[in-house]
Amino acid sequence: MSTSSDNIPAVVITRPKPLLLRHAPYFIGAAIVVFLAASMQFDGYILNILMQATTFAIAVFGLSVVLGLCGQINLAQAAFFGFGAYAVGIGTTDYQLSYWLCLVAGCVMALIAGAVLGLSTLRLGGHYLAMVTISFQQIVTLVMINAIWLTKGPDGVSKIGRPSLFLSSQSYLAFCVAMLALVGYIVWHLPETRLGRAMRAVRDNELAAGVNGIDVFRTKVYAFAISAVLGGLGGGLFAGGFAYISPDQFSFAESIVFLTMSLLGGVASPIGSAIGTGLLILIPEWLRFLKSVPGLYLAIYGLSVILIIRFMPDGIWGFVTAAYDRMRSSKKVAVTSAPLQLRPAATGGDMVLEVTGLSKHFGGLKAVDQVDISVRRGGVHALIGPNGSGKTTTLNVLSGLYNATSGKVVLDGTDVTTMPPHLRAAAGLGRTFQNIRLFRSMTALENVIIGAERPGNTLTGKGDEAALTERALAALTFVGLGPRAMELISSFSYGHQRLIEIARALAANPTLLLLDEPAAGLNSTEKLELHELLKRIAAQGLTILIIDHDMTLVSEAAQHITVLNFGRRIADGESMAVLRHPDVVSAYLGTD
Amino acid sequence: MTLTRRGFTAGIAAGLAAPYIIGSARAQGGGTIKIGMCAPITGPAAEAGKYATGGAKLAVEAINKAGGILGKQIELIIEDDQTTNPGIVLAFSKLAANPDIVGFLGSIRSTQVHAMAPDVLKLGKPVMFGGTDPNLTKLGNPWLFRFRPNDSYSGRVIAEYGVKNLDKKKWAVLHSTDAFGTAGGKALTEALGPLGATVALDQGYANQSQDFTPVVLAIKQSGADILGSYFTFENDLGIFARQLRQLGVNIPWVGSPSIVNVTALKLAGPALYGTYGVADYAEDSSEASKAFGKAYRDAYKVAPDNQSSWPYDAINVLATAIKNAGSTDPQKIREAILTVKKYPGAEGEYNFDKNGDGLHGYNIVKNEKGNIVFDKHIEFDN
Amino acid sequence: MDLVLQLLFTGIGIGAVYALVALGFVLIFRATNVVNFAQGEFSMVAAYLMVVCAVDLELPYWLSFIIALAGMAIIGVIFNLGVYYPLRHRTYLPVIIATIGASILMANGVLALYGPQPQVLPGWFDTPGIQLGPVYLDSQYLLIIVVTIALVIFNYWFFEHTMIGKKLQATSQDKEMASLLGISVSTMIMVTFIYSAVLGGLAGLLVAPILFVSIQMGSTIALKAFAATIIGGFGDVTGAIIGGLALGIIETFGAAYISVPYKDGFAFLVLVLFLVFRPQGIFGERVAEKA
Repeated sequence: MSTSSDNIPAVVITRPKPLLLRHAPYFIGAAIVVFLAASMQFDGYILNILMQATTFAIAVFGLSVVLGLCGQINLAQAAFFGFGAYAVGIGTTDYQLSYWLCLVAGCVMALIAGAVLGLSTLRLGGHYLAMVTISFQQIVTLVMINAIWLTKGPDGVSKIGRPSLFLSSQSYLAFCVAMLALVGYIVWHLPETRLGRAMRAVRDNELAAGVNGIDVFRTKVYAFAISAVLGGLGGGLFAGGFAYISPDQFSFAESIVFLTMSLLGGVASPIGSAIGTGLLILIPEWLRFLKSVPGLYLAIYGLSVILIIRFMPDGIWGFVTAAYDRMRSSKKVAVTSAPLQLRPAATGGDMVLEVTGLSKHFGGLKAVDQVDISVRRGGVHALIGPNGSGKTTTLNVLSGLYNATSGKVVLDGTDVTTMPPHLRAAAGLGRTFQNIRLFRSMTALENVIIGAERPGNTLTGKGDEAALTERALAALTFVGLGPRAMELISSFSYGHQRLIEIARALAANPTLLLLDEPAAGLNSTEKLELHELLKRIAAQGLTILIIDHDMTLVSEAAQHITVLNFGRRIADGESMAVLRHPDVVSAYLGTD
Repeated sequence: MTLTRRGFTAGIAAGLAAPYIIGSARAQGGGTIKIGMCAPITGPAAEAGKYATGGAKLAVEAINKAGGILGKQIELIIEDDQTTNPGIVLAFSKLAANPDIVGFLGSIRSTQVHAMAPDVLKLGKPVMFGGTDPNLTKLGNPWLFRFRPNDSYSGRVIAEYGVKNLDKKKWAVLHSTDAFGTAGGKALTEALGPLGATVALDQGYANQSQDFTPVVLAIKQSGADILGSYFTFENDLGIFARQLRQLGVNIPWVGSPSIVNVTALKLAGPALYGTYGVADYAEDSSEASKAFGKAYRDAYKVAPDNQSSWPYDAINVLATAIKNAGSTDPQKIREAILTVKKYPGAEGEYNFDKNGDGLHGYNIVKNEKGNIVFDKHIEFDN
Repeated sequence: MDLVLQLLFTGIGIGAVYALVALGFVLIFRATNVVNFAQGEFSMVAAYLMVVCAVDLELPYWLSFIIALAGMAIIGVIFNLGVYYPLRHRTYLPVIIATIGASILMANGVLALYGPQPQVLPGWFDTPGIQLGPVYLDSQYLLIIVVTIALVIFNYWFFEHTMIGKKLQATSQDKEMASLLGISVSTMIMVTFIYSAVLGGLAGLLVAPILFVSIQMGSTIALKAFAATIIGGFGDVTGAIIGGLALGIIETFGAAYISVPYKDGFAFLVLVLFLVFRPQGIFGERVAEKA
């Protein structure tokens, strides 16, 4: 398969047909399922099971967005489910409102609750998020039980209405299945959108996402809010389906059930979520006759959760698709695309970067102390110094990962001192990391597309999928990896991963590129290639600030060098002069 | 997605087949009259579930030994309701899908009966239940029949006994904030007014509280001279009872049925000595109750409680009604149940009213050093 | 005033229970950066072991106590090998979920073996308590408070003045550095799980005579203890103790003066407030990830 690719210039990515046409089989399939749901004769039991599975699956889709795509935990999905259910329940009974109005209101309430919860806590992440969502869940449950004037308390709400269009259980089920298909389509398609890519980037590597122009916090809030809305939608449909709701259906235990459903099927994909939901509703039904020993069934359930996590981390669907991918040999593609253009913006003066009096203190430790750096437009500027001299800290302050203790950073005429990483990226800053930070679950192409998507990049035409892909392919071709664009990061060597990271930064068309020890860990051939690459980049007029230990690389590539030692600037100026400076020599060789 | 859906439907078909095969294997040996029962085999009330299924099976065995009804044996099909509302909806819909089942036993938990009520109405077959929320028989659902006195009676009995027999007029009312507790607490406070008593404290608490000190101190401060309580879980009752005594509150205490339940007696021990409880089932209250107590003890070596007495009565009354109706037609069974009068059950004398309530009074029992002693029965006409 | 004193005693007693369980959380978190959602189940399992030994087998109380704690040590080993160790190189998320699975497994495993009925476990002392002026002091709560204080002292001594304690400290601060120094990181993590399971078990044994022995006894306490850990500042031993005590007192007074049914809500409300306004907790220092 790969032998012929060298002489047949295959077109990599064909102009995509209109989405609706490409996805027509999905909609035809969905229509058939909806038709079946509407026309097949089910008895009450199967109807109830299907109703439960359908409405739960919508809520579980929400988890596949927040947990699967964005990597944030949500242990309160049952509470959001409850928001929708209670809006429909109370609205259609006590206030005699239209079902549709109530359903929308429930989704809006869930959205607001999810967004507020996310806004207040998503900066913390991890275990804290787990705990806050549990707390939120508990408080919601308590209110459902105790605010009897509003929720009717533990009695629950009964005689919940349905829309007049779908009064019979069968037609209502068909309606729910249609909603499921619609939501499923959106969730399925989401990862390929800009927002979906941002979520995946945040999940894979928050720091890299930030310096590539993604607003990490906002992306997380969006993911959380989408998850909450889908929870609310599922709940609203559930309430109409069962006509009765009570607080214990929306408890913490149910949130765990939702979580397990999404994990079992495979958290990364709506198909997995649907499988997980179906199984976790059906398995208990199948095993009911095993339940003569109280607890035995749930004990097995707990054990299987551990085993799934251990042996099938990507769930059933992940397991299946991984096996499928292994059978398919990876696509090797030849590329015909325009050469990479770099047209750095130039709004400021002669100096692209002006750093004055920059300090970063960690407690009593002055990692960076009163450093001034000026980087001239169009040149390669090196920042060198012995280990622990504060080079990487300086870079981290420049790219916004650390807040400066004092000092000022001006990028191309804009004061960026207090900006978060993604805004500095938007202002034209690109960077790579010493320990490579790529989005590991994505292909090389997707990684570079995220770079190309940088807000403020003027070289992506209309900014549509095709233009982005073209730009990303050009960048990959520029570093020599164009033919392997569709491969996953894990299949690349260390040196090639370094090149992909550089391509990602280049695709963004930055005004200034920060390279953090790009030669670290490369062998001598790779170093030579890197050297050539830097020359080609510089030839396009891109300004580079490079940190490295490799003196050959630095002295040959850079016209200007700044030297740090113990956090202070000890020398600055034209390369050869600086390297001969006695303080520099002693800093590197020792004084005695 | 399409693939998933298809697989899913196939899965359901397979899932349904399995229990049915088992069911039909059990049913071999000729036509039987099938009764479905939803019981908590798993979940927090799993222990109560054992008592419930024990009581029902006892009645079924006795009827079958005596020759069955309409010449057929009774077959009991039990489904696990997992002690949850969605659980019982599924369990019931699964039983309801079997067209051979002529009548059902629901739950002792009111929220579960609320949850299944819409499906019961849709199915149109009689369902016996033990939940005591007064509203359940006021839903306009003709297929629900209650085999325990509802909480409006327990509230009235507690109030009447406390005010008339113990002569206490200043009440503290303590109740769980779940459906059972809220309804009970409301019934009790409403019954106190007409008797000329006052409510000094009306206090709710959340289930599974680990500490009741603030509640006990509130009772102490209210100056109440009698306590009426609705507890759902025995461990809450046990913790509260001990702390009540430790903090020196020794006013008379009349509680809802859980105060005389076997587990509560074991957990709380001496802290409950001298308290009164309303009991729908009291072994010494009638000949029928004594007979049931003996039969249950012989079969299971433990003393029965109300968890087991109502399913026992429900099966017996249902069997009687089928016999009287001479048919398993749901409408005829329903009419036959409504005409049941003066039926001596383990729980008391059944006189069904038009709402489907079978019992209209409660027993008052006293805890004398751990032994539950029948004190008196209080019956209401309305 | 009498009322306040009585509430204060109860609050401290309950708080000490939270603190004990919180301690187990903190130790595991410091060693492995993992929140163990099954910590509460350690308490429950220990209490059932104790019921089996002391009530069913009628062994002497002290012997049953030792057997139960030894049993917890074994469970700590199994937990580490079965739940944490295979996932140690993955992110926190799979580990959290695996511990949730373990919690379901333990709770329902015990249910399957022992049945759902709550059990009575007698306390250490025959006298249920003493009346001190207007305040009644429950003897079991007194014992819990004393044990908590003793454990704080023991922990200080253990981590600051014993070799193994120092090794544990080193491991929790920097695993790579510790292994360079010749400390076996996996052994240290094993020790942490054993110690934490025993601590959780100890909490269960102490609290069982008050709350009875039931399947749910661990999970409610664990959620509160978890909240206490965050309020105290994650990863800080003193913080966990203070957080636990604070939570117990807040809850008791909240129930007495604001609302009894919403009692469980106070803990979580305080927690959310802390997370929004002071996420580092009372004693904590760092929240942000290292760049």
